[in-house]
Amino acid sequence: MSGGLLQGRVALVTGGSRGLGRAICKVLAREGAAVAFNYVKSEKQAQDAVRELRESGTRAWAFAASVLDKSAIDAMVGTVEQEAGPIDVLVNNAGVGQVVPLALMEESDWDGMMDTHVKGAFLVTQSVLRGMIRLKRGRILNVSSLAGVKMLQAPVHYCAAKAALKGFTEGLAKEIGRYGITVNCIAPGILEEGVSANVPPANREEYLRHCALRRLGTVDEIAEVVAFLVSDRNGYMNGATVVVDGGV
Amino acid sequence: MDCVGCGEPKARPDKPHTFFAHEYVNCPGCGERGEARIVLRSGQVWELLRCARCGPVERLHHADAGAYVSSFLERGEAAVSAGGEHLFKRTTSVCPGCLRLLEVDVVIRAGKVYFRKSCPSCGPSEALVSEDARYYVRAYSFARAGTEPLHYSQEAEHGCPTDCGVCDEHEQHTCLPIIEVTDHCNLECPICIVNNQYSTHMSLDDFHSIIDGMVRREGTCESVALSGGEPTSHPQILELIRIAGRSEIGRVVVITNGLRLGRDRAFAEAIKESGAYIALQLDGFTADTHEKIRGRDLVADKDAALRVLKELNIPTQLVFVATRGANEHQIGQAVDLFLREDHILSLNFQPAAFTGFGGGKYPGDPMDRLTIPGVIQRVEEQTGGRLKKSDFFPLPCSHPQCVSLTYLMRLEDGSYLPFARFVDFTRFGTLLRSSATLPANAEIHEALHDVIHDVFARGGEIERGPEVLAALRGLLLQMFPDRPLTSREQVRIGEGRAKSIFLHHYMDRHDFDLERLRKCCHHYPQADGRVMPACGFNMFHRGAAKGPDTAVAQFARPAANGAGRSLPVVQGA
Repeated sequence: MSGGLLQGRVALVTGGSRGLGRAICKVLAREGAAVAFNYVKSEKQAQDAVRELRESGTRAWAFAASVLDKSAIDAMVGTVEQEAGPIDVLVNNAGVGQVVPLALMEESDWDGMMDTHVKGAFLVTQSVLRGMIRLKRGRILNVSSLAGVKMLQAPVHYCAAKAALKGFTEGLAKEIGRYGITVNCIAPGILEEGVSANVPPANREEYLRHCALRRLGTVDEIAEVVAFLVSDRNGYMNGATVVVDGGV
Repeated sequence: MDCVGCGEPKARPDKPHTFFAHEYVNCPGCGERGEARIVLRSGQVWELLRCARCGPVERLHHADAGAYVSSFLERGEAAVSAGGEHLFKRTTSVCPGCLRLLEVDVVIRAGKVYFRKSCPSCGPSEALVSEDARYYVRAYSFARAGTEPLHYSQEAEHGCPTDCGVCDEHEQHTCLPIIEVTDHCNLECPICIVNNQYSTHMSLDDFHSIIDGMVRREGTCESVALSGGEPTSHPQILELIRIAGRSEIGRVVVITNGLRLGRDRAFAEAIKESGAYIALQLDGFTADTHEKIRGRDLVADKDAALRVLKELNIPTQLVFVATRGANEHQIGQAVDLFLREDHILSLNFQPAAFTGFGGGKYPGDPMDRLTIPGVIQRVEEQTGGRLKKSDFFPLPCSHPQCVSLTYLMRLEDGSYLPFARFVDFTRFGTLLRSSATLPANAEIHEALHDVIHDVFARGGEIERGPEVLAALRGLLLQMFPDRPLTSREQVRIGEGRAKSIFLHHYMDRHDFDLERLRKCCHHYPQADGRVMPACGFNMFHRGAAKGPDTAVAQFARPAANGAGRSLPVVQGA
């Protein structure tokens, strides 16, 4: 692969074994990046994903590590830096979906949602940031959701977690911009697969009624935008949230 | 760079240029030779000359400031490496015999720096200026823009040092005002740099007027020092401290030999009650060192003073006049004491200056004396490497040849680690300040964030890295809580977290350098409104540069009690 948007870069994608994360890994690899990702449960899918990436000529690594396990994250980041070099790109994609109304929401539901999306992004970012500051460059992209930036019929804890990622993005962008590191956020609308698969049919129909393109998005369409956002071609965008929703 | 944080940075603007050095040039108008300020401005180098005939003149000296500074430093480094003797630059000093201002050569020879002088009246002479030529040359890379006071005491008319007081051509505001509240003293020190006449205690009205003037000129001051003579001999010293303790002033420091503190418990308790800090003169630990420097055995007196300062937990600074052949072997002991005691916040080494009532006649050899690098060398040798030469950096607030310092951060286990072990001061120059501690202001907040990220990123490369990060976290949370702090609280919090060692080399008739005086920031405020840079005052206005009864310069205006005859002054040679 030569001449890609990410030629020679090293990317780490959290939650990269399936859904949107897997699509992102694939496009980043196509654009020339060496790609590492973590997963928690889907061992087989992770192996498939790594094989697929390697078959396309990309250096790829998969790590069984929770984004909530600090020591596992640090070990993962250390291994990637040792084997592939400094990490240039981090995509905080790991997430979970759970459709439950507030009235029935358990405290553990809330904590699980917030932990995976927000604390996970914090822990992984902190681990990767050390090298980026040393490098004086880097691209961090947080995967939020339209539910985090607009009023949608979506679970409250999911909306809150995704909105938190927007704040995380803006605060961090301000704090570390001086080191040439940009931090942005992407907010996809409802997609055909991934976490969006949990969206109840009524909500999906409501969404389609308001979407100018009259269809759901695909993970590949989001991954293409991600590849540009984390590339050197996107040098001056910082602290931004890019909504990709077909026009809602 | 706003060097002290005593006040809001916006209130005291930076100079529009960075003062770099002095250089002799010909006036573009009349061709007369004179000494110009060389300043860096907007990426270029400019000559600012005050010509006796044409007045103030500006001329472009070099189109590229970066290239000029690099070339200057390379020239110096090459001279150090080449061996033999090499002319590095020229400046203005004085003849040690008649005190006439002279254009002198700054030469590098055998790794040291000397002034080579030729007085038309007294003939040639030489003086050692620095024991480490490489340190001397590299110090110039620390030049930073000074800060202007809100008001100057007077306008420039004849140039430096004639207009001292200070004028608008001075390159730094008053970082530390030193108010001489009395000329009475209970010691006759062989190394005394002032000129005690035993005639005057400053009146409360004059003191009020000086404090008011300082606040008007500076807005706020981090520290105000009360000196003398021996300030504790002033019958109203506690009232003076009270007057100085206004909200615009962060701390009041009494510079004392400690005799009264050690002997008068009630007085020491009153000092504690007043909130004042003590700068204790402590130049050694044995009878012979005291006798050589202070004229008599003071071991018992100093022990008594140290004891009461510790018992009452009075915030203390130690001042150690380091003198070749007298006390240089006890420098490490002073460092040990400083590191051991929590109430001792800073240690100030002053390589002896041979000027003043005692020092002007002190039998020091101007060719074999202690300078800043020599003291640093002894610190390293005598502390077994706990502190290293690489821990010290020139202070850019004053002229970089005047002061060197290191800050030490308190780690969670109570030990101290020099900032230089985890801060690259060539990158984080903001942290190099004239203050004994780090105040919690916006400038330091920004610099600390940079340092934290740098330490975080370098991780395992840094000595005691995790402990440093933990200490920085504690420092940040304590210094910048979620509530506004008064300026006094800011000072106190910084003191609990960091200590400092300063080395400040005052000048005398041997190593006087007008270029250094230009950026002096330790000033003696006078009751008549003038604010006199310390070494200029000592050299030209006190009438004691060669001991008592030295003639003062013809332009001098001594303090009310300072009599003296006029001395002819020749600009250039």
